[in-house]
Amino acid sequence: MFLFLALLDSPEEQEKFTELYHLYRHFMWYVANQKLQDEHLAEDAVQEAFLALTGHLDQVEDTHSPRTKKFLATIVRSKAVDILRKAKPEEELDEHVLPEKGHGDILEQYLTKENYNRLVSCILELEDCYRVVFEYKYVYQMGDAEIGDILGISAKNVNVRYFRARKKLQKMIQEEGERFGKA
Amino acid sequence: MERHETFSEGEKLLAGILDECLDEDLSFVPPEREIARTHRFSESFERAMEELLETGQDMEREQKIRRHFSPRYGQWAACILVFCVCGWLFYQVGSSIVGSGADKSAELESAAEDTMEEPAEAEEEASAPADVNDAAGSADAGAPSGGAGAEEPSESGGQDGWPYCGMTIYPSGRQEVPERLSNVTTLVNCPVLDEENPVLFLTIGNTGEEDIVYRNQYELEVQFDGVWYRIPWESGEEEQWLTLEAGMAVDEEIDLSGYPIDYDAGQYRLITHVEQELVSAEFTFGEAFTEKMEQLEE
Repeated sequence: MFLFLALLDSPEEQEKFTELYHLYRHFMWYVANQKLQDEHLAEDAVQEAFLALTGHLDQVEDTHSPRTKKFLATIVRSKAVDILRKAKPEEELDEHVLPEKGHGDILEQYLTKENYNRLVSCILELEDCYRVVFEYKYVYQMGDAEIGDILGISAKNVNVRYFRARKKLQKMIQEEGERFGKA
Repeated sequence: MERHETFSEGEKLLAGILDECLDEDLSFVPPEREIARTHRFSESFERAMEELLETGQDMEREQKIRRHFSPRYGQWAACILVFCVCGWLFYQVGSSIVGSGADKSAELESAAEDTMEEPAEAEEEASAPADVNDAAGSADAGAPSGGAGAEEPSESGGQDGWPYCGMTIYPSGRQEVPERLSNVTTLVNCPVLDEENPVLFLTIGNTGEEDIVYRNQYELEVQFDGVWYRIPWESGEEEQWLTLEAGMAVDEEIDLSGYPIDYDAGQYRLITHVEQELVSAEFTFGEAFTEKMEQLEE
């Protein structure tokens, strides 16, 4: 553990962190502000995002890469979602109730090239609280514990949110399919 | 890190779509410089971020330390508490064992002196496990075996000992021992013995249809105030289990002269092991018998 913390304190990590801040702070603020529509809350989201980033600098290999930029966008969006949820607690997800695994989860059947366009449109419409979980899991290939660390929730709740996201996406694809079929 | 996670084809497709959607989303974001021209961060944000840049990693470290180590402090505290409790329990148990062992040794030594037995023999007996009762698996398994020393009141439930022939004897762990089993009877040749000739013949009869085994060693108990007390004694003979055929009887000659006998005592009984059970045979001595008869006549 101390070795890990010592690595975080390495000059390379500090330099990387500072560089990321100077390169992307305005970009991150913009992304957050798109979601929050509040300049100050967006600043808070950026601040939270950088704080979370300090524990996951190993995800950043090249500070100038598009992947890094997308990773920062995902972090700041997830922090913006947190802020929104705190502002509207009635919309808070009940993450203590585990969904029944596998029950009605036929998302895999829809994940085909034939449904590509439908999937793109559904992902773009998918709520950010679910979409960021997908992004952390599939785009950045992070484990539940790592995702939980960034989101400030337990790994179990990450799993819950992930299964909810699958269900939601599945439902959206089904609805999209019905609409498309009728048209 | 779980980068090695293997995704299905569908999930790989989903990953690609998510990446593409991210690209599409971010394509609408103006360049950094342009945003910087239109937006200035608040002073509080700049200050906070400066602090974070200077101490951010320390903050994260503190957060991680709190997250990872705080519960461990609790775990350590719980472990220490458990160790303390266990240590205290072991100390208590150890103290009681050592204490009872010391008491037992003292009693054995004093009894050995009283009976003029060799101390070494007494110590040997004290350290030896209860033998006669363990073999039969009887309720008296914890009672000490016969020997020169006094008996520990382990099965007596803490009852007081009884002074007997210069020693202290303790209540037997089994007060009720039958004189007859379903397939075995015991009988002493003469229920009233002469103190000049304390030899009795114990007849063991196998009334069943199968062979039985019995032990060639006997335990002697004496009754005071309605309570049976065990008389510690060792015959010196090698313990043997003998077979008694179905329908047969055997007379075992038992010389009680080796036992510490109080002829004024009221009632005695011999206990033997047959199969996994105990059988008793009661007798008394002449003088005591006479006195008792006289009391009854009065």
